[in-house]
Amino acid sequence: MTSVHQLVPTISPRDAVGNHTLALQGVLRGLGFESEIFSMFRHPDLMTKTHYVDQLPPNADAVIYQLSIGSPVADRWARHPGKKIANYHNITPISLVGKWDGLLAAEVQLGRDQMARYANVCDHAICDSDFNKAELDALGYPSTETVPVLFDISSAKADKGTLTRLLRNRRGTQVLFVGRIAPNKAHHDLVAAVRTLRDAHGDEAHLHIVGTDGPPGYRRVVDTIVSHAGMRGHVTFHGSITQEELVAHYQAADVFCCLSDHEGFCVPVIEAMHHGLPVVAYECTAVGETVSGGGLLLPEKNSLLVAAALHRVSTDAQLAGRLQEAGRRRAADFNRTVTESRFRDSFSVLMESQ
Amino acid sequence: MNDSQSDATYFESVVSEIEAEAQRRSDSGEYPRALLRSLDEEFRRWIPDASLENGVEDTIRGVEAAAYVDPVVPVDSRSPLGRYIKWAVRRFTYFYHRHTAQQITALGIHITRPLRLLDASVKNVDRRLSALEDRFDVGTTARAELIAGISAFPISSDFREVLASHLATASGRVLFGDQVDPDLLQFLRASGVDTYGVTPSSERSDLVDVRQETLIEHLEHLEDKSLGGFVLCGLTGRASLNEQLRALRLLLLRSKPDARVAVIVVHAETWSARLGPVAADLLDGRPLHPETWTHLLLREHALEVTAVQSSDSQSTLITAKLS
Repeated sequence: MTSVHQLVPTISPRDAVGNHTLALQGVLRGLGFESEIFSMFRHPDLMTKTHYVDQLPPNADAVIYQLSIGSPVADRWARHPGKKIANYHNITPISLVGKWDGLLAAEVQLGRDQMARYANVCDHAICDSDFNKAELDALGYPSTETVPVLFDISSAKADKGTLTRLLRNRRGTQVLFVGRIAPNKAHHDLVAAVRTLRDAHGDEAHLHIVGTDGPPGYRRVVDTIVSHAGMRGHVTFHGSITQEELVAHYQAADVFCCLSDHEGFCVPVIEAMHHGLPVVAYECTAVGETVSGGGLLLPEKNSLLVAAALHRVSTDAQLAGRLQEAGRRRAADFNRTVTESRFRDSFSVLMESQ
Repeated sequence: MNDSQSDATYFESVVSEIEAEAQRRSDSGEYPRALLRSLDEEFRRWIPDASLENGVEDTIRGVEAAAYVDPVVPVDSRSPLGRYIKWAVRRFTYFYHRHTAQQITALGIHITRPLRLLDASVKNVDRRLSALEDRFDVGTTARAELIAGISAFPISSDFREVLASHLATASGRVLFGDQVDPDLLQFLRASGVDTYGVTPSSERSDLVDVRQETLIEHLEHLEDKSLGGFVLCGLTGRASLNEQLRALRLLLLRSKPDARVAVIVVHAETWSARLGPVAADLLDGRPLHPETWTHLLLREHALEVTAVQSSDSQSTLITAKLS
């Protein structure tokens, strides 16, 4: 039996790359391949579904490396005699994390170095977005293609308690962002934009931030800015929440706003569109191609402009309706079945050509 | 046109309308500009200067947390039998794992102690460095804000012929910085002086052979004894005393032994009268007197040091030949 295994530095169940890796394992097994996941750091919940990295069989026909950070695991992949496939999810540039988290900075630097070093050993690379693909093409990767990340747009029902609480407390425009609290996600710009929306448009807007803390230094700065802006009562950090609670947030909010400076794909944008939430996003890196006609893309993100966009979406019912429809159409492009089929096609060809 | 195309066109037109609306409100002063500025400043103020500032502390905490090794081995398994076997092995080997884990934990703790010491030492150095910087230049920000709003003093046309004649015998390229006067530069070139400009200003980036960078940065990358001469101006009116002396020291290092040098300095009284008392007080590097430049050049054993005052008595050109 042909064996196509996956290597990933860290695997965790509530993580986009982790979920993708598990989903891809299903696709590979569905194609009749023997497929296991090998990782250096495994979440306790995944101990029985994964293996420690040193158990990777040396005679595997192909090894897929999930590339999103620097790790010694990459060297093991590069030395493996089998076909080497990279699945690139992007690595945040060091300029955006370097000042905030020394350890993370070292890891992303290592990741970028490895990415450049292994261009000539990688047989084929699959990238989440054309933006990611362009990065690998520029490094001289010989064969690349774009296939979106595998993820389940939640069919979970909204948590009733959360939904009731959110609807009961709402006054003004409810702005939502979902993502780790990290400098590249520019939460500080969101605070400034919602503050401007409140001041300039007389809107009692509220900003809901869902996501785990990233570098502690950045979270402290965002907290300081929230206080300084007099937004203590108008910004809520919800932290990491369950899928049902997340769906409640998507249903209760008026607009999803993404002002990230760097995204390799941005799954929450697709989730928001799927749940009929109008999307306003700053067009940079891979955000533009992810939204692609499913939301309002702003060419810059000064808070004057973002506030005007949020105000327009919250007051123009016709626009909001068309954004909802366009968003749902766009989200359908990332339907799990469609993406799985693209992965199947890709791997069928790749392993046939062996 | 399908729904997607129609929506895309519609959304693009909406974004244009939003941009126009934002611009209109911005122009009319409806937006709280002062608040926006203060939020932006607040964020910039809190950006760490380097990962060391917050990163070391957080990193050590992470190492400390990871230093504790759990001797309880997970027993999850795909089969109940496997789970039972693992549990039994764990039970019988627990004494061994606990002993090993304790030693590794002790090692981890011993490793983090010197890291803590290093962190304290780095923070101490950082504090002392900040105190030192404060002693030397506490007004950097205030001065930078002032400098940004100051337009350059025009270089007197009286100096054209003197400069052309003085630089005519320069044996190499002549650097002109950091205030570039396009007409004067053109005149010197027409007179046969091989000169190039260096200025941080982007206003005249269209000029041929004018590098857009700060004079100090440019000089740091030049080789020693590579210049046939220099004309120092602009920076002599704005920069701090330390920056002016540093620029002169670098210029002298990068110049050939027989280089032709010139310094154009606006008189301190003219400078003060034009900028007002606030700028005069805060710009602690306001123009040095021509006598000071003469003294500095003589101190470097320059020859033929000559000072020429402009006809309007607002500036002085000092020329010299290095020995």
